[in-house]
Amino acid sequence: MTERLIVIGGGGAGTAAATIAKRLNPDMTVTLFTEFPDIAYSPCGIPFVHGREIDKFESLFLSTVERYVEDGLDMRMETTVTDIDLDRGTVTARNTHEGFDKLVVCTGFVWEKPDVPGSNLAGLHYVKDIRAAMAFDKTLDDMKRVVVLGATPLGVEMAGALGHRGLAVDFVDEGPWALSEVLDPDVAEPVHESLTKRGVTLRFGTSLEGFVEGADGRVRAVATSKGELECDAVVVCLHKMPSAALAEAAGVKTGTTGGIMVDERMRTNKPGVWAAGDVVEVPHGLSMLPIRGLTGSHAYGQGRVAAFNAAGQDLVYDPVWIPWGMVAGDYTIGGFSIGETLATAMGVPYVVAKGVGVSRARYFPGATRTHVKLLAEPDTRKIIGAQIHGGEGVKERSDFLAFAAKRGATLDDLAWMENIYSPPIGALFEPIAIAAQNGLSELRERERATA
Amino acid sequence: MSRLAEAKRRLRQQSEHYLLVDSARRLGKGAPGTVKPYRGRDGLAWRLLFVPLYRRVPWAVKRTAMDKLHMTASGWTPPPREPGTPWRPPAPPTRPPEG
Repeated sequence: MTERLIVIGGGGAGTAAATIAKRLNPDMTVTLFTEFPDIAYSPCGIPFVHGREIDKFESLFLSTVERYVEDGLDMRMETTVTDIDLDRGTVTARNTHEGFDKLVVCTGFVWEKPDVPGSNLAGLHYVKDIRAAMAFDKTLDDMKRVVVLGATPLGVEMAGALGHRGLAVDFVDEGPWALSEVLDPDVAEPVHESLTKRGVTLRFGTSLEGFVEGADGRVRAVATSKGELECDAVVVCLHKMPSAALAEAAGVKTGTTGGIMVDERMRTNKPGVWAAGDVVEVPHGLSMLPIRGLTGSHAYGQGRVAAFNAAGQDLVYDPVWIPWGMVAGDYTIGGFSIGETLATAMGVPYVVAKGVGVSRARYFPGATRTHVKLLAEPDTRKIIGAQIHGGEGVKERSDFLAFAAKRGATLDDLAWMENIYSPPIGALFEPIAIAAQNGLSELRERERATA
Repeated sequence: MSRLAEAKRRLRQQSEHYLLVDSARRLGKGAPGTVKPYRGRDGLAWRLLFVPLYRRVPWAVKRTAMDKLHMTASGWTPPPREPGTPWRPPAPPTRPPEG
């Protein structure tokens, strides 16, 4: 009998799992269930359409449902799975049962909802579904003032985008600076400057107390610890929460983050059931502590591993070192693993190595300054984290450093790394090497002082 | 979800929150463009007992405790080199004897 694979979820992990499993094992029947009418678009691009840096939402689509059907997938659009019965090997959707031999759960996440009065009012917007984003975008033209709640990566992108569109934006967060759970304070200032230039008013160290209803039943203002902020709408950008309830009800184990626990083959505790994407937790390479809510490229990679194993092959996923990067206003920031704020919070011992270089030969038009801060273990000098900011090359350096850390690179390795010198694309001295050399000099000074 | 699992989840969530707030308060002092993080009336025990105690315990001890409490991931191959172990180049592949 033909083997039947069901994938629940049509995001990055789900589409990767379904398409790759079908490609690896064409004889397998692969059915994908998604509650949404659309598939294969980039939700990460939504803020930039709102900000009019991308001209239309249609540009975010990468493929079509028809294309997946042509590839042999059974696509169940706008079909919510309401139950999983692992004993009988069925899922329930639209009151009918569908049998499976293997199951991949990619149910993704929902945004954390503020636990304050008025959180059900109309006018509170969550950035996720593209159709909701299209509808919200149409209303933005009639708005003057918007509150963005939560200085998370999405919050920073939305605040910058809406400011770019010409709206007055109040950016509210309890933390002391933008992205304070990720970013170090020495990087905050250029980020704040860039956002302010786009018309964003920063209201950090400010707690949300509730949403105030207007005469029309919509949100009229946001009540905070520092007073009321009048607004036409609120964009809520708090934390991602895993949508694990469906799997949990079927007996699939969840961990300390609330995400589904998987092993390196993306297997859950239940035989024949894999999980991938924002619904799972995976270990951080430094601490082996489970984390979740990573990027679209992590979701795709995990979906691929689940697909290989569900299709009868053997593939493992590594603990993550999380290269990250984004444009905050007009300023590029990035890094990998942990910064000083997180290292201090965790109690991980570290030394800092800082340096500033240029992205091209200094005389070449368009050269930008690149600031690199490396964190290394004091005893072995192994790199454990970095923060990079400036103009060009932040993404590539963050990717490279995450890979180097995964392979155990030290400050000594980086200090004398080879680099490209070509005036239009790279300077003689690589900023990463400059930072590592400075760090080593400082360590030598310290050793001399204590000898 | 069992009570133990629920307790571990809450421990992780609360400890992360208060440790991060404490860390941001320490590192942000005097940094241009930053303000004091919001501090509500809740979480006195976390702020006054847990955070100072956690900060006194060395990282290696904390790591071991997290392992013992099953708060670290299982079913995964740890990175090739644990923190604290010096890097060594991988051994060259052994060749079968010629002839």
